Amino acid sequence: MLRFLCKRLALAIPVMLVVITITFFLIRLAPGGPFDQERNVPPEVMANLHAQYNLDAPVVRQYFDYLGDLLRGDLGPSFRYTTRSVNEMIARGFPVTMELGLYAILFALLVGMPAGIIAAMRPNSLQDYVPMSAAMVGICLPSFVLGPILMLIFGIWLGWLPVSGWGSTPGDKILPAITLGSTYAAYIARITRGGMLEVLSQDYIRTARAKGLSTWRVVMVHALRGGVTPVVSYLGPALAGLLAGSFVVETIFQIPGLGRFYIQAAFNRDYTMIMGTTVFLAGLIILFNLIADVILVWLNPRLRQEAGH
Amino acid sequence: MTLQRYSRFILALAGALLLSACSDGQRTAVEIGNEQQILHMGNGDEPSDVDPHTTVGIPERQIQLALFEGLVSKSSETLEIEPGVAHSWDISEDGLVYTFYLNEEARWSNGDPITAEHFVWSWRRALLPGLGNQYAYSLYSIKNAEDFHRERISDFDEVGVTAVDERTLRIELESPVPYFLELLEHHSFYPVHPPTIEQFGRPDQRGTRWTRPENFVGNGAFTLKSWEPNRVLVVEKNPHYWDADRVLLNEIHFYPVQQPATEERMFRAGQLHIINLLAEERVPRYKSEEHPALRSFANYATYYYEFNTRVEPLGDPRVRRALSLSINREQITDQMLRGGQRPAEHFTPPGAGYEARARVPYNPEKARELLAEAGYPNGQGFPTLTILYNTLDVHERIAVVIQQMWRQELNVNVTLRNQDWRVYLASKRGGDYHIARSGWVADYYDPNTFLDMFLSDGGNNDTGWSNERYDELIGRAARAEDTEQRMEYFQQAEAILLEEAPIAPIYFYQYNHLVSPSVRGWHSNVMKHVNYKGVYLESQP
Amino acid sequence: MQRITEQTATEPVLEEGSSLTRDAMHRLFKNRLALVSAGFLLLLILVALLTPWIAPYAYQDQNLLLGASSPSAQHWLGTDTLGRDQLTRILYGTRVSLMVGFVATAVALGIGVLWGATAGYLGGRVDNAMMRIVDVLYALPFAIFIILLTVIFGSSMLLLFLAIGAVEWLTMARIVRGQVLTIKRQEYIEAAIAMGLSRWRIIRRHVIPNAVGPIIVYTTLTIPSVILLESFLSFLGLGIQPPQSSWGSLISDGVENMENYPWMLIFPALTLSVTLFALNFLGDGLRDALDPRASKD
Repeated sequence: MLRFLCKRLALAIPVMLVVITITFFLIRLAPGGPFDQERNVPPEVMANLHAQYNLDAPVVRQYFDYLGDLLRGDLGPSFRYTTRSVNEMIARGFPVTMELGLYAILFALLVGMPAGIIAAMRPNSLQDYVPMSAAMVGICLPSFVLGPILMLIFGIWLGWLPVSGWGSTPGDKILPAITLGSTYAAYIARITRGGMLEVLSQDYIRTARAKGLSTWRVVMVHALRGGVTPVVSYLGPALAGLLAGSFVVETIFQIPGLGRFYIQAAFNRDYTMIMGTTVFLAGLIILFNLIADVILVWLNPRLRQEAGH
Repeated sequence: MTLQRYSRFILALAGALLLSACSDGQRTAVEIGNEQQILHMGNGDEPSDVDPHTTVGIPERQIQLALFEGLVSKSSETLEIEPGVAHSWDISEDGLVYTFYLNEEARWSNGDPITAEHFVWSWRRALLPGLGNQYAYSLYSIKNAEDFHRERISDFDEVGVTAVDERTLRIELESPVPYFLELLEHHSFYPVHPPTIEQFGRPDQRGTRWTRPENFVGNGAFTLKSWEPNRVLVVEKNPHYWDADRVLLNEIHFYPVQQPATEERMFRAGQLHIINLLAEERVPRYKSEEHPALRSFANYATYYYEFNTRVEPLGDPRVRRALSLSINREQITDQMLRGGQRPAEHFTPPGAGYEARARVPYNPEKARELLAEAGYPNGQGFPTLTILYNTLDVHERIAVVIQQMWRQELNVNVTLRNQDWRVYLASKRGGDYHIARSGWVADYYDPNTFLDMFLSDGGNNDTGWSNERYDELIGRAARAEDTEQRMEYFQQAEAILLEEAPIAPIYFYQYNHLVSPSVRGWHSNVMKHVNYKGVYLESQP
Repeated sequence: MQRITEQTATEPVLEEGSSLTRDAMHRLFKNRLALVSAGFLLLLILVALLTPWIAPYAYQDQNLLLGASSPSAQHWLGTDTLGRDQLTRILYGTRVSLMVGFVATAVALGIGVLWGATAGYLGGRVDNAMMRIVDVLYALPFAIFIILLTVIFGSSMLLLFLAIGAVEWLTMARIVRGQVLTIKRQEYIEAAIAMGLSRWRIIRRHVIPNAVGPIIVYTTLTIPSVILLESFLSFLGLGIQPPQSSWGSLISDGVENMENYPWMLIFPALTLSVTLFALNFLGDGLRDALDPRASKD
């Protein structure tokens, strides 16, 4: 197991290098510089601005300078938020996004897994259609529709919950978590149901049923383990995708998370910020995938053997 | 039965969550703010910094107006110049020398007195080439300032700013500037506290830690209390401010809310007193309801289309004028936008003692004639041009409407192209466009801010159009001593601009936003100028 | 109904025996909801193909005097703020969105299934190398990439297909691989290996058919997520170029106006939701029908 981990971690280095290289050159290809604005400025001023941020050096030189800084853990100053370093922005934004993401996943699991299990127990009956349809609302409406609708109903018409902010008023985390989580609830419900149906048709489950065990017991004891495997392999990428996907929710609910910086940085041509968030997110995605793999191996004894070799 | 148990659990959980949210007394931020004199404001975007010499945006400006004060300040009610750090000033007969007498009571937020030397230091910093101040050019009217900024001279003593004594500052200009006092109110003329800046870096270093709340020293009515990026920036009353008696608010909270829709919902949920911008499509609704919070006022700004005169057939003034004449501006403002915008039949918005006589009316017949004269009768043989605009719903709708107008009136087909803001700027600057949407918001309250843009060497003239006579008229206006004469030069220049039509004005902006009725002493005005002095909050009965 | 056979016939599972096909068909026909969904989707595809002939107005026709008006006899689904007929715009939007959804998903499906099945089945170094490539691509922040690409090259349909297809195949590959890893350890595969069947034959005849359930479930999830991704890009202003419309651009316009002119949101959102529901129900039906081990009661 330990060897398996080490191997995977060693492989992460070239992966990161590829990510860094592609991003670095791609953003410099995009038209428009970080300091362009409506009023034109004299070329001397622009040159001085570029000099302040090492943008006057040849691109290859900039690239190696960046790698050097990165090794020291320095992601550079943000071009857009001039008083802040990218490290600071990530340190501020990431915990917020992570918290939002965890609540969203929690909500998604809480709604999605039971819905999927219940649905799988009696396929093609009302017990299947009702919970699945309910869980699916989240993938039938984009979050930029669901969010404003929830805000309108619970925030403005009923006045129950705040429509913006994060941790400044009680209850302001509920609507964003539901908005972000509902998409994933639908996916999780679908995947759980699919996985459960698969397992429930296996011979050993039939045997268990034939032995007279109650359906509920069979589900809880035997089927669940096999049924959640696809959910676990989905969760790793989902968590990572969620960070990027949180942009919409963070924007409409006014949440100071990383997702907002991340997309905004691309529009602002905030080179260091794009690079910093990309490197950070890429590292995170690799980590989550690794965790998902480890859990998969752990859930499947045969793979465990294989990984040991 | 298991299903039942599960749904009961979910219901209980949801109930608990809602109860915990509702059990709190349910007083909104606005209600609490009204009692404690805390103003909650939507501020558009996250400020990049609050340093007045390195920032360019409006969100930053709104905050700087609270944190700093120039030699003079401006009333937001009358837009008249009022004393700021200087209690009085003299202007020489020839309009070249300004002498300012500083208020003895004027202090930094740490209690230090403000001296004339501080202004000299600050303006030198604003002009240091290494700082990369994008607004440095606004100081160019000072003698030799441009040479210093462009490194043609290195000795700042040659620049026309002198501290005569502790409390007297003398400024010499290159040539008379009728709106110089107006300029002085701009943030690039604000003083900064030299010891603080030097403590955290070189004077020409950007983004040092001096603007962090724990380090910040300013001289405005408020001082920086806290700043959490993308969440809120808080300023609190500055006890050392010379006119502190007239500062009635205890705190202002600036929220960086980018989406107007989000801002409006926050307002309705009682989280904001003032929103920065009401979305276009929401204005008619508030208007028809006569909502007490709606503030709608003319803005000193123009929305227009630019023609790239280097691209055929846009090199022909008849073609440009034909395109301009066939835009039904009234239809755009009255039937589509419906937010109080006024159709622009000329370029400079009326105001500052000037209203253009020349017009480019809606006249499709004349347009067809001109187009035929230029060799495209009934649009035959006219190439397919492209309208470029930056990605925003309102630009898109206007482009779609104008596309239809040109098709119907002139039988001319155009395609649309939207680009992200930075790409759009790069395309415009590189001359890589045919027709581009543009907007110009005045830097100062004077027609010159609109008309000097189209000088042949104007830094913001992306149309490739140049006209000697036009350049000469604008030059004469700058030297004119008599206001009436000056305005006459502008009239003649604008007539040329409309006749030659490198641009097609479309409408004059209208600024619509919401201000809670509990906010008193808040004056919305053409320049979007804010003066927080005298603003206070009153709980509604 | 003929269409369904054709659709399912493209699935590799059906290449081999006709009895399986017939069983699958039989099971599918028993599932009413899936049939209704399939019918609805067929109708939608038909409508999308015929749009230029059946749309009541041209998609760029405006009527500023009319502005946004609620549903009426002239405009069944109302008009938008420029007085453009909503029904027409939704019809044209359907064309665009379905095309994006199907083409991009086809790209994702093709690459993903092949990649995942091969990696999972071959195992060892090949698997390692192949999944490492997936990891690299996974770790690329696609939101930024799609934004940068649309910024550099301008937004076009082709770019949307490629960009979205390139994102979506990865998850497909992972899921298929996971599934294959589980299946390949089961007795019947071990038996096939013992019998000396060639690897490719095993992949084709046993591994892919057995993994088909999850693949279909995921495909039915991919089409909607592609359609949603397009709408997300529209929300950022990077979607389809105006005056064309897609569901995404219509919905994001609708959200802006949802309180003033609710029909601008309701109808496009309804079209989207019903389509997504239908895709899901059909996916379920197919899954149940195609699963060779499903009980025959």
